Amino acid sequence: MTRTLQTSAHVSSAALRSFEAQWRTRAADSLSPVREQAMLRFLELGLPTTHDETWRYTNLRTLTGHSFIDAPRKTRGEIEPNASLSLLDAKERAATLLMVNGYPTLPGVDTILNGIEINTIRESSRLDPKFMRRYLEPLSDADQKRWVLLNTALFVDGLYLKITTQVATPLVILHVATGDGLDNVAYPRVIIEAAPGSKATIIEHHVAQGEHTPLNNSNTLLALRQDSQLEHYRVYATGPGATHLDSLEIRQDQGSRCKQFTIVLGGGLVRTGLEAHLGQPGATLDSYSLLVGHEDRHVDCVNTVTHGARDTHSSQTARAIASDASRVIFNSKVIVDAGAEHSQSQQSSRGLLLSPNAEIDTRPQLEIHADEVKCAHGATIGRLDPDMLFYMLSRGLDRDAAQSLLVYAFLADVLTDMSVASARASIENALITQLPDAQILRKFR
Amino acid sequence: MLLKISDLSARVAGKDILKGVNLEVRAGEVHAIMGPNGSGKSTLAQVLAGREDYEVTGGTVTFEGSDLLMLPAEERARAGLFLGFQYPVEIPGVNNVYLLKAALNAKRKAAGEPEVDAYEFLTLIRQKMKFMQMNESFLTRGVNEGFSGGEKKRNEVLQMLVLEPKLAILDETDSGLDIDALKVVSAGVNSLRDPTRAVVLVTHYQRLLDYIVPDRVHVLSGGRILKSGDKSLALELEARGYDGVLGAQVA
Repeated sequence: MTRTLQTSAHVSSAALRSFEAQWRTRAADSLSPVREQAMLRFLELGLPTTHDETWRYTNLRTLTGHSFIDAPRKTRGEIEPNASLSLLDAKERAATLLMVNGYPTLPGVDTILNGIEINTIRESSRLDPKFMRRYLEPLSDADQKRWVLLNTALFVDGLYLKITTQVATPLVILHVATGDGLDNVAYPRVIIEAAPGSKATIIEHHVAQGEHTPLNNSNTLLALRQDSQLEHYRVYATGPGATHLDSLEIRQDQGSRCKQFTIVLGGGLVRTGLEAHLGQPGATLDSYSLLVGHEDRHVDCVNTVTHGARDTHSSQTARAIASDASRVIFNSKVIVDAGAEHSQSQQSSRGLLLSPNAEIDTRPQLEIHADEVKCAHGATIGRLDPDMLFYMLSRGLDRDAAQSLLVYAFLADVLTDMSVASARASIENALITQLPDAQILRKFR
Repeated sequence: MLLKISDLSARVAGKDILKGVNLEVRAGEVHAIMGPNGSGKSTLAQVLAGREDYEVTGGTVTFEGSDLLMLPAEERARAGLFLGFQYPVEIPGVNNVYLLKAALNAKRKAAGEPEVDAYEFLTLIRQKMKFMQMNESFLTRGVNEGFSGGEKKRNEVLQMLVLEPKLAILDETDSGLDIDALKVVSAGVNSLRDPTRAVVLVTHYQRLLDYIVPDRVHVLSGGRILKSGDKSLALELEARGYDGVLGAQVA
């Protein structure tokens, strides 16, 4: 079946034409009205350029000349066993759900696993299209989020998780990206809903397999209902050739608490968005970003947290290191809406430059439309402290070891707040591997 | 001769601080270097430990007969030189015990000895902590993190006791200590005294020298050692002040 799209937009680049061609191959489904709206809006807007405020630091011009096609669907059996290496030991996790190029591979539909209902988005929207559309329609000003629009238009299927009780063991979603040639694109989509009073930990781990890693346009929504608690990790560990454009949306109801960790350890170009809306009184969000740039990597992290109701709390803690010729960007914005009295927010961003050719940019922003709020922000970028370094050298430590220890110590603020000990240990381990003199650091742990 | 400093000059941030220091320290001796503020005492200590942003502009320093100034800071430490800092740095996120263990292993490795056994090390450190009357929480804290001034100084001496240097240079280790802490720190230093080691105490006050009795006392002023003597020189300085003792020699 060929579908038509009534658009007045001038579809100018090879990339846009290829996305439009993908749209035409998609079968109509119960989400079609939302998808069509998203596709039209996307074509109108085109790809973001460095003239767009939140894309100032990331140039996607090289993408425009490519004609993208869907990354292949693969079964569990086609994935090499080592790709399913998890961040957690088997005994410490509830389960590992596998998504390959965005396609969920579930043991069966309608699975209930230790208090988490697991379903595909396709199946859930077939059962209740109205309900699922609410999760796909963008928040008020989100129709500028072009990659989200494209994902909404083109994702074939995704995961819908509903946490119904207090779940002690973490659940891992392993995202494997694996292409069969250049110019593959994948659209992973995950929706996680925490029912009132529920509690869980979910870890999304992005890895790549094989020579060609698809362009990854992923999107996750966290919906926290009243008094629920969710600890969410997204960990990027793909190879240096990978381009990953990820968006995370967080919607929080009354009294809910969300702890979110964004950890960038891999990828060639990684762009992470976080958009949180604290929509009801008492909602609390603590977000942490741990951004590691080396070689010629580009890491761009953009957070927007909106306090939409009174007595809401947020904190954002970012630690970035950049070595070699890498570039790391962390921009955060807090918006306090009119009526959101007694809200509190904190933004702390620190960058550590390890090479004269590396660059870190950071900018905390505040937009306050309410009275009686407490909003603090601070940002620093610097080099290793020479006094600390000399102190360690004067005790006989190797210069490399001393430097690695100081880098590690710099990142510790984020690591110590991770509640899942084994996740923390795995992330520490992965992190250490990226630092100079990994062997020495291992001995310290 | 353990340490021989000849005509040493050094500059910090474009300013000449040391202007021809001469000093000889034999194994088994304790020397005290006293002097007014800004005389160059701390600069001398930092230059000996190998601080890179302190530029040596002239003179020589030999340690056990070889050129000390040729070595980077870490190799000086492994060769048996220890600096007790006037202001020990806080390094949050790097554990005290890990640092100390790495320091000890670096020294052992340089001497061709095997790494210290984990259990053995913990036993050693607990024993030294007890001697220095230090709190157990030290074991889990970051290097000097949140320590009071007195705790930091105890920690410096603890590190010295574990590393057993041939030459310890203690830069105002007595400043900021109450009388009880001063006794503990002094006992730590005295426990290290033996015929194979030497200690150089940099201090403002005669008080410390009641507890650690020096063999020689030197007065550093204006970047030079202007007067040397036995322990009675310290008492004389206490009674008459630097101006009174040095008279017209003060720069």
